[in-house]
Amino acid sequence: MKVVIMGCGRVGAQLAVLLDAGGHTITILDNDAYSFRRLAPTFGGTALFGNGIDAEALKRASIEEADVFVAMTQGDNRNIISAQIAKHIFNVPRVICRIYDPLRQELYDTLGLEAFSPTTIFAHLVQEKIEG
Amino acid sequence: MEFRKILVPVSGTEADEEAMKLACRLAKKDKGRIWSVYVVTIKRALPLDTEIESGIETAEAILDHIEMVAEEQDCEIETDVLQAREVGPAIIDEAVEREVDLILMGAKYKRRFGQFSLGSVAPYVLQNSLCPVILYHQ
Amino acid sequence: MYIIIIGGGRVGYYLTKALLDENHEVLIIEKNAALCNTIKEEMGSICLQGDGCEAATLEEVGTGRADMFVAVTGDDEDNLVACQVAKHKFNVPCTIARIRNPQNEALFKKLGIDVTVSTTDIILEYIEKEVPTHPLTHLLTLSEQDLEIVKVRIPPAATTVNKSVRELPLPKDNKLILVISRDRKPRIPTANTVLREGDQIVALTSLETEQKLRAALTST
Repeated sequence: MKVVIMGCGRVGAQLAVLLDAGGHTITILDNDAYSFRRLAPTFGGTALFGNGIDAEALKRASIEEADVFVAMTQGDNRNIISAQIAKHIFNVPRVICRIYDPLRQELYDTLGLEAFSPTTIFAHLVQEKIEG
Repeated sequence: MEFRKILVPVSGTEADEEAMKLACRLAKKDKGRIWSVYVVTIKRALPLDTEIESGIETAEAILDHIEMVAEEQDCEIETDVLQAREVGPAIIDEAVEREVDLILMGAKYKRRFGQFSLGSVAPYVLQNSLCPVILYHQ
Repeated sequence: MYIIIIGGGRVGYYLTKALLDENHEVLIIEKNAALCNTIKEEMGSICLQGDGCEAATLEEVGTGRADMFVAVTGDDEDNLVACQVAKHKFNVPCTIARIRNPQNEALFKKLGIDVTVSTTDIILEYIEKEVPTHPLTHLLTLSEQDLEIVKVRIPPAATTVNKSVRELPLPKDNKLILVISRDRKPRIPTANTVLREGDQIVALTSLETEQKLRAALTST
């Protein structure tokens, strides 16, 4: 699969490396080139400097051919807007979006984005650990 | 210093009574008048002129009580229920409108998150009032 | 009307002042505490410190009863999300978003924002009008049909000079409405109307075909 990831933070970088090792074609975008230091030396995909909320930058990342788009920056709203650009402007078949705020995550889930909230997931995870 | 017009905002704590007694003493000395107000806060989810019965009932009960306290001191006072989004600004507006020369209010000793707290109203009034303020801290 | 404004910067501030003067009920939601206090000191309890994108905050301020929701922060993404939450969670009848990046206009419209205001586009429009050498000027946008009315000036060296309308490679569904010659005489163009240097042409076009129309009329 062709996957475009926006945001080369800890999670984004690790995801890129994992998917790359799994044989997928990965393009990862970040508006801070310094973030790319997080990519392991084995990473064989493309790392591109650019702003994921800018349609031109997304085109350069060949979003038009992408099967999956993943929005993984620190900002909820940046993720939301870029995910909606991917979904509604470029018609990417599958769009995944990280939204820390659980309320916003619920809303955008109902609006058709595949959104998940690390806040909720992690709270439940720790609860399970504690309660067994 | 003469206090001819005194505003006594009340919130329904015991500190109100002591503040009112003090206001009565000051008013008698200068032949002043006293207004006592209670502010009903209206959540933004509702229009400002919404009549919240329970809120108004509480307000009237508190003001009736403070009127009695004043009567015991041989003082006649006027009372009013105000509706506002926030208490502090409402008190300041009222003070300006009535051109009072003193705001006298009671504050109860409170702890919030384990620390001493004056709440938000008293500091706001102290900071923003154009006339002198006496804070009676119990 | 109850109008909620997101962002207490310059735009939000002056907007609020104007709306208060017209006796509307206005509330600003502003993230910055210091800015919020300045507004309160000047205009009373009409500002709440908080995040206008958060559903909980919007619930607290009674967005459900708002007639209008205006997002004018400096960030397109915040404006979009705030408006979407207002529209889809609280059913606010009219949402207005300020846009910095003109590219976002189409997206915002597609996502259900009722009105978008792009300062970049507005300034560009004025520049086009003020700079007489600019060959294509936007006069009016008919937003629902995606059509627009533009004015094009025929430059001296254009290949279209001395050609009749019939010979022009006009894009599909573009119509020439009016030709104004240099002596300011307006004519309604027919297939036989011949274009002269300096003619100004008022034409109906669309966002997609605008550049083709410009090329058809002004290429040298």
